[in-house]
Amino acid sequence: MLNYIRAEVYKLLRRPYTYITLAALLALEALFASMFAFHNSHSMPTPFGGAIISIVEMGAIGFCMCLLTGDIVFAGQYKNSTLKNEVSFGLSRTRIYLGKLLAQTLLSLVYLAIMMVFFIGLCAVCLPMEGPAGFYSSGDALIIVGYFLAAGIPLWIGGQAAMCMCLFLVNGEMASSFLYVGIVFVLDTVIELAGLLIEGGFGNLLLKIQQHFPAPLLDGAKEVVGDPVYLGQAWLVGAFWVIVCTAIGLYGFHKKEIK
Amino acid sequence: MTENTAVMAAYGLQKAYGSCMALDGASMMVRRGDIYGLVGRNGAGKTTLMRMITGQSAPTGGELELFGAAGKAIRRQRQRTGTMIEIPSFSPFLTARENLEYYRLQRGIPGRQTVDEALELVELTSAGAKKFKSFSLGMKQRLGLGLALMNRPDFLILDEPINGLDPEGVAEFRQILRRLNAERQTTILISSHILSELSSVATRYGFMEQGRIIEEISAEALHDKCRTCLRLEVDDTAKAAAVLQSQLGTDKFEVLPGSVIQLYDCLDDPKRASYALAQNGVALLAMEQKGADLEAYFLSLIGGGRHA
Repeated sequence: MLNYIRAEVYKLLRRPYTYITLAALLALEALFASMFAFHNSHSMPTPFGGAIISIVEMGAIGFCMCLLTGDIVFAGQYKNSTLKNEVSFGLSRTRIYLGKLLAQTLLSLVYLAIMMVFFIGLCAVCLPMEGPAGFYSSGDALIIVGYFLAAGIPLWIGGQAAMCMCLFLVNGEMASSFLYVGIVFVLDTVIELAGLLIEGGFGNLLLKIQQHFPAPLLDGAKEVVGDPVYLGQAWLVGAFWVIVCTAIGLYGFHKKEIK
Repeated sequence: MTENTAVMAAYGLQKAYGSCMALDGASMMVRRGDIYGLVGRNGAGKTTLMRMITGQSAPTGGELELFGAAGKAIRRQRQRTGTMIEIPSFSPFLTARENLEYYRLQRGIPGRQTVDEALELVELTSAGAKKFKSFSLGMKQRLGLGLALMNRPDFLILDEPINGLDPEGVAEFRQILRRLNAERQTTILISSHILSELSSVATRYGFMEQGRIIEEISAEALHDKCRTCLRLEVDDTAKAAAVLQSQLGTDKFEVLPGSVIQLYDCLDDPKRASYALAQNGVALLAMEQKGADLEAYFLSLIGGGRHA
């Protein structure tokens, strides 16, 4: 497995897409940070705490990142028919699948670390640390962001597992992406609507299920900062999604004809 | 040779896609040291068979053995193989060298020089820094072969490997295969539409038709079968054989069923044979000169008319 991960890292480091994506994301962050510096309702820069607290409103971006990193690592293996080189050499399909999932997760975590350090660092450099009343203090904001990230990381990894499953089950990155968006962003809304429309126990069950989807669970994290039970729930749900998606993806990949 | 020396054996392999049988009980054996030429027209099942050997597709029936291993144990044995099935596929955004290095790392093949050796073997050293997406088809074929050879395989599986190669490339490719077979004792399974090329390297053939191996034959036996001869149809083969021995002083003939004798002598003077037979009271009912190459033999096997 270590050899497989080493090879994936070797490929990622030589792929322009890896750097272009990161550069584009950092540019967007810089643009976002500059908005806090120059445009605000008080005609003065938003303080550091007020700026970085915006991170907790961007949980969905983490799930979109899973889509990007999944695509970068998978690197068009169906389109370029390169999976046959791996399978025909006798590498086990389980190793191929898990290797790709680990590489995707690794890349996502590296991107997350760089983006967080860059955005928080940029805000620290460009914005005043203290501001008018009504804004979060720097310390409070860092605690809330820290809690949000602690709850978000397992849920994003769950999203990554869902993306990996889609990439292996469906031929073609575009179709995989649509399936992923459907599972992570649309399915929970559909279940919630059905839960609201259906009265009684089954409706309640649907609403309970909807609350265990990664995106709504992450949305709720900012409301319960410091709650260890909620954090534990996030890690459990993340682990559940990783296990279920990986089991489905592995099963499908083992049955798949490689062309 | 015994079955113990079999590198690959298939017993009644089947592959069904719905109601279509891509493989319909294919049985074959590739022995150690063979250069096994797989011959068959489009859709005969050659690529499907090779994809099963390489694990890209699972059989729906029958059994496959690789280096004596069967079932799930085959997967590990695949690490002793080198394969090139259909069009060689690599990451387009990586260079030739980077692509090979990627697979070297992934497969845990020791030594960075392995990549340079593979590039040198397929004469792509100067193109090592070029991105795969800018390669010609011939260069892609060479790189595919380079990857297949990188782990010094005991068994090389090549599907239409000379497609896209220029004449010089084909000649070099032929030499590489012969060298691998002679120096490293690499067993090779190769399919090609260019039967003349196949006939210049193969030591054994398997003819495929409608998902089955219809005949397996050694190159020597095929050579004998395709040898130019006089086909004599006579009323009495015993008497005719005696005449050929006594009057023409030759024993280069075969007596076949149906009152037929195949004579491998007197090819430049057939009248001598007919005169001798007639002089000694043997009725010559028909006489024709016969000979075939691999293509003609294959066409005769499948009933003629269509090309491989």
